[in-house]
Amino acid sequence: MVSASSDPSLDLRSRFEALVVPHLDRLLAFAIRRSDSVADAEDAVQEAFVRAWLGFADLRDDGLARPWIYRILRTVLSDFREKNGRRQQLVFITRLEDAHDELIGGEHDALFSEVVARLDSEAIHRALRKIPEDFAAAVELHDIDGFKYAEIAEIVSVPIGTVMSRIARGRKLLAGAIMAERGTAAFEQSTDALAERRTSRGGAR
Amino acid sequence: MSDERNALTSRITPAEEAARESRHEVLRELLGAYADRELPPETVAQIDAHLIGCAECRSALEVHDAVRTRLATERPAAPSPALRARIAAAIDAAPAPVVVQAPAPQTVPQRSIVWLAVAGWIAAVVLAIALVVQLPASRQSAGGVRPIGAPVQQVSLLGGIVDDYTRVSRGDLPGRARDLSAVRAAVSFPIEPLRAPDLRLLGAWTTDVRGEPAAVLAYRLRDRLVVQYLVAEDAFFRHPAVRTAVADRHLLTAADGARALVAWPGTSTGTVLVGDVPSEWLQSIWRSERAH
Ligand SMILES: [Zn+2]
Repeated sequence: MVSASSDPSLDLRSRFEALVVPHLDRLLAFAIRRSDSVADAEDAVQEAFVRAWLGFADLRDDGLARPWIYRILRTVLSDFREKNGRRQQLVFITRLEDAHDELIGGEHDALFSEVVARLDSEAIHRALRKIPEDFAAAVELHDIDGFKYAEIAEIVSVPIGTVMSRIARGRKLLAGAIMAERGTAAFEQSTDALAERRTSRGGAR
Repeated sequence: MSDERNALTSRITPAEEAARESRHEVLRELLGAYADRELPPETVAQIDAHLIGCAECRSALEVHDAVRTRLATERPAAPSPALRARIAAAIDAAPAPVVVQAPAPQTVPQRSIVWLAVAGWIAAVVLAIALVVQLPASRQSAGGVRPIGAPVQQVSLLGGIVDDYTRVSRGDLPGRARDLSAVRAAVSFPIEPLRAPDLRLLGAWTTDVRGEPAAVLAYRLRDRLVVQYLVAEDAFFRHPAVRTAVADRHLLTAADGARALVAWPGTSTGTVLVGDVPSEWLQSIWRSERAH
């Protein structure tokens, strides 16, 4: 590789600053949503940046820098989770799916758009933590970070069809988590009624 | 199951209902990708057509849209200067990356192979976006609009069209999407699909309206169904109220409840456009059409 500079690592460093560092704010937000504290998230992001720097020569296409650094951050976060033995506060998935199905089967759907539009970030993050991380990550990478399905497939190393179903199911579960948390009396009542209908139908699913 | 779909089961055969149900089962799994514009155009057209008759899927689609719209407004975090400094220091302390020799030009990196595999997928999406017709609304050429001077149900042609539209809007569209050539072969008058901003052709078929052969072109306008009925000239002008309304290059407008109709004559045909939309939407389609 012919370089204009006498020190190739200086060139690399400025390329790194231009391609990777601008994503720090979004990467930190992604890490905060899946860490116990901001300090933990900062540690994870720092570790991801160091790993990215060490492996920077592997990045051959500058256009792929953004998915590449996300992929590294996800690996770091999963290493950290393993080390800390942290478990998510998952709600039963079937309960979230029931809440979603009730939502689209009843009169709540018009209400839902307004409810979700008004939720603050805290409530959104709580709901995201209630659904399995693989689903949340696919939804967040698309809806918050603006990746296309093909890029998400690259980041999380799954086929594009899996990305598609994780996003579809993830949004349903998230909607269910949001409605379940609202827990208005009327909503709880109708969810119970739905559960009864399900049972009487022999749990059709 | 929604009321809309229950109402439908009483009019169609069990076999049709079973086919519809299985289509519903398949298509509802694709609604997320549909909302995200990640599907090839053929699939988009299928879902467009299915959504018109399926309240459950429309409702599920709204949930997808509501969630993605809200998440899109999430703000990035604000990294502290201390974090930036820590990261810079950690990188300074780390060894420089090992720069490997430039790969031979014929070497395809692993990453590119993955991207090639999804290239078709992306191409389909690009095509789907390109298919959305973008035309400037040309309002300066707007002519007069004249409401019809008789109740819609008293004008045989219009009454028949409203009845047919009511049937169509309750179920999936019949026939294959965009099968225009078969429809052209089946009728004696020329057929050209309408072109206007946000208007997308979903499908075409033939029917008869109170005994008159008609070509039916269904469109999606934003998220609504709009249906164009084309009939032969003589059938179009039969009722005096229609003749009066469209005289002097006027556009006939009519309403049947929340249902709007507009009608105008073409070359040896007449067009009646109907939809559960504001009349102004239909009128602007006519204006776009005249601008061509
Ligand atoms: Zn459906």
